[in-house]
Amino acid sequence: MSRRQLQSESTRYGRSFDFLLAIPLAVYTVIVILLVSSLVLKITPSAILSAVTDSNILDSIILSFVTSLISSLLSVAVAVPAGYILSRNRFPGRSIVDGLLDLPIALPPLVMGLALLVFFNTSAGRWIDRAVEGGVFVYRPGGIVLVQFIIGCALSVRVMRSGFDAVDARYEDVAMALGANRWQSFIKVAVPAAGSSIVASAVISWARIFGLFGPIILLCGTIRGRTEIMPTTIFLEAQTGRIDVALVMGACMIIASMVALAIYKRIGGKTFS
Amino acid sequence: MRSLSLGIEEGEYFVLTGPNGSGKTVLVKLIAGLLRPSSGDIRLAGKSIISTPPWKRHLGYVPQDGLLFPNRTVRQNIAFGLEVRRVNSKLRKARVERVSELVGVSHLLDRMPKGLSGGERQKVSLARALVLEPSVLLLDEPVSSVDEDARNILCTEIRSIQQRIGVTTIHISHNSQETQIVADRVGVMVNGTLRHILDPAEMSEVPVA
Repeated sequence: MSRRQLQSESTRYGRSFDFLLAIPLAVYTVIVILLVSSLVLKITPSAILSAVTDSNILDSIILSFVTSLISSLLSVAVAVPAGYILSRNRFPGRSIVDGLLDLPIALPPLVMGLALLVFFNTSAGRWIDRAVEGGVFVYRPGGIVLVQFIIGCALSVRVMRSGFDAVDARYEDVAMALGANRWQSFIKVAVPAAGSSIVASAVISWARIFGLFGPIILLCGTIRGRTEIMPTTIFLEAQTGRIDVALVMGACMIIASMVALAIYKRIGGKTFS
Repeated sequence: MRSLSLGIEEGEYFVLTGPNGSGKTVLVKLIAGLLRPSSGDIRLAGKSIISTPPWKRHLGYVPQDGLLFPNRTVRQNIAFGLEVRRVNSKLRKARVERVSELVGVSHLLDRMPKGLSGGERQKVSLARALVLEPSVLLLDEPVSSVDEDARNILCTEIRSIQQRIGVTTIHISHNSQETQIVADRVGVMVNGTLRHILDPAEMSEVPVA
């Protein structure tokens, strides 16, 4: 008897139990479908045309994707070594570091944005920001990347730590016994083993930061052609009565999120142990 | 691991046995360099290797369950040690094929580890260690994941390979029959100490616990 047949045989009994437990799932699924479809069905062809011919809208879309992709890649670049160290090592203060890394996840993003604004008003912050003429972060696209990175990286580190936890450390022992030094066993064994977690950490980080709004407005404002991104465009267009354009932007963000989810489901989350 | 003193002759097949938790795997990992002792010395051909990292000790290590790298083919698994030592691809290919022939896994070279049986995995793991021409071979319960019928056959094959190439071998085992097939001498460990060193024929006369 196949596994599928065995499973269906075992659920033949107590079907009313399954039905009752499925009700909250059904209700929530219907809510999600209603919300997404109500947004999508309101979009008109003229609104789409208006959005794609507006250079400010296109700039906002490009800036959103460029900054969020850069931030996600930076997050993964930090998360891979950080997750490995947290997974494989016991060091003094580890639990404190672990707790601190949860802060950007637990704190409201607006508070992180406020903290950055306050920092860049200190003398150290002003010195860093003015490293390049015109500024690097405050009211600049660099600030968008910084905010997204700070909030997204903590989540990436969490995912990578779990990813490396799921990889049997004995594979690296075997690699070292076969002649691989620490770098080689990390690059040739540990990182490929956690490959799907790397994809998952990039996608999860991106999904979290793509829609960030409040902290970005605090640090960078929403300057047309410079720091306006899709979430702030949706807010501005809705405020000025151009709901139809806001809906088009919303639909773009839904499609982008669905593509990210599809990538995550296809590749992310598979490790070997 | 408590105070322990052990000497093994070149070319000898030495089996370490004892109850679970007696320190057999710890001792093998200390020799391999995967654990560092708090005191004492480990000497190979008269030279101390205590400060030498595991990747420079030139030992062959076959872990329990084989632990083949799942995202590499059998050929790539066997070639791993040669790859990290930057052996050129032509020589690498020749050595992989030679050792695969010796161990009897030539027909598996293009397979992924996932589809292999327990015995096949252990043989590939053995080939992966032997291809490096190690001075000492460390086998951590190499036949534990193999079903009982195949165990004695695999042990006989391992012993035959070891005699052919003459590599000094330390083999961890729980099984007295296995020990009888392969061992030149047997060390019995209990509570982190080496309690007895004896001939395989004397094993039944000595209590293990």
